[in-house]
Amino acid sequence: MTSFIDYLIGGVSNGAVIALMAIALVLIWRATRVVNFAQVGQAMFTTFVALTVQTLTGSWALALVVAMVAGAILGVIVQFLVLRPMRRADTSGAIIATFGVLIALQAAVGMIWGGDAQAYPQPFDNAGVVAFGRIWPISVYDFVVIGVTILLVIALSLLFTRTSIGLAMRASAFNPEVARLSGVRVSRVLTFGWALAGVVGAVAGVLVAPSSTVSPTTFDILLVFAFTAAVIGGLDSLVGAVALGVFAGLVISLVSGLSNSGNAPVVALVLLALSLITKPDGVFGHHKARAV
Amino acid sequence: MRYVLPLTDPVLSTRSICVTLSGLRILDDVSIGIPKGTVTGLIGPNGAGKTTVFNVISGFVKPDSGEIRVDGRKLKHIHPHRLTELGIARTLQGVGLFPSLTALENVMLGGSSRVKSGIIAQALAMPWTDTEQADLRERALAIMTELGVESDASRLPGELPYPIQKRVALARALVSDPKILLLDEPAGGISAGDMADLARLIMSWVPKRTVLLVEHHMELVMKVCDLIWVLDAGKVIAAGTPEVVRQDPAVLAAYLGQEGAA
Repeated sequence: MTSFIDYLIGGVSNGAVIALMAIALVLIWRATRVVNFAQVGQAMFTTFVALTVQTLTGSWALALVVAMVAGAILGVIVQFLVLRPMRRADTSGAIIATFGVLIALQAAVGMIWGGDAQAYPQPFDNAGVVAFGRIWPISVYDFVVIGVTILLVIALSLLFTRTSIGLAMRASAFNPEVARLSGVRVSRVLTFGWALAGVVGAVAGVLVAPSSTVSPTTFDILLVFAFTAAVIGGLDSLVGAVALGVFAGLVISLVSGLSNSGNAPVVALVLLALSLITKPDGVFGHHKARAV
Repeated sequence: MRYVLPLTDPVLSTRSICVTLSGLRILDDVSIGIPKGTVTGLIGPNGAGKTTVFNVISGFVKPDSGEIRVDGRKLKHIHPHRLTELGIARTLQGVGLFPSLTALENVMLGGSSRVKSGIIAQALAMPWTDTEQADLRERALAIMTELGVESDASRLPGELPYPIQKRVALARALVSDPKILLLDEPAGGISAGDMADLARLIMSWVPKRTVLLVEHHMELVMKVCDLIWVLDAGKVIAAGTPEVVRQDPAVLAAYLGQEGAA
């Protein structure tokens, strides 16, 4: 029983990172009805940027901020170079194009930083916290990860409910033509959405990096979990992305702890399949049908 | 036959607009003018092209030829999102509200073009964006109060009766303080009592604003309009005051040819 609870506690910070990546996917999906498979590639690229900054300056916080800015810029570049020219094509074409971007980004990272896995330095104490006479399976760094995630989710919800751009994003996602008539510059709103998703993905990348190594393909597995969480959550629900992201973290931790970590993706995909069969709109989804 | 009225100061006019969609001539040489400070009606049987005229003015449909003039100035490129900047606001057939936004948020959205602070400033929550947002909110609430829907501000459109939704949609158009209002069937689906309110409301806007009204309810059109343009099969077939248009043989023929219309 103790180990069961320990596995759950140990899964929270990983779940937070999955939730962030799922949010990034949901942000793009809501705005464009495209699943951006390049999101983890963008995050991986910006994490390497952060690694470079951290190596040069030794500042974890500065590296995080630079990665966020780089994430925004990269998101805008991807939208302008790839998605915007394809906006007249059907969405399946655009989704395939995002795969192409992922591969291109992996190649670019390989050329710039090399293909080998590199260690990302631990910014905070990574040892289990000692309290109440025992060591808990959660570290100071895990608390930082969870804290940053919570802050970002709060900031996003304020953005969506308290600002004109948030209002414009919600309106444009539902009906771009009516939004235009109300004076919303929908194309700018879309671009902002790509930048925002890039920022959120970049944060996820930097946060998860110390717990593994970084290489061009490290984050591919994060895509599997984030995609699963986003789809089960309903793809257009930020609440769903957060809830299912954390849930995925817990499941992965349990599966890895009780059997072995290689089974986690299998379990995720089985859950995804079950969810699509029983609740195709997702747990938190509110649109009627999804065009496939 | 072509109708051209000697209009002295049209605030909005179309000149020889032609639109062809998938091989069909939707609008054929349509020239209409809307005199400043009037309520001008645009009527005609179903499929006459009334909404297409709105779509051309709004920039959703690009005409094959012809031009749109606002205050005598020819519009070069018409973008829907620039419409409110030009002082034009449009309501849609039905209501066209965003179901996941509250009534107040829907109305505030109509003031998007009045928000001057940039996207990045808003995302970084710069202090001046808060005051701007508060101003817009206040303005939206004031207009909702004017239309008697302020008590529904925090409700979602789906929870509101249809006539109230129509008023919220009107409030969204008014929040940008337009000098020209394009109303597409504002009386659709509302009761006789609400219709009388609507007539009073429309007449209260002129002469400060100019209204172009597409409507099927002849009673409303005849009551509020100063001038009426009649379209049939994409052509202007008549124009004049309600009294003139009512007795025009071409108009009678167009409507009688379409049983049950109007």
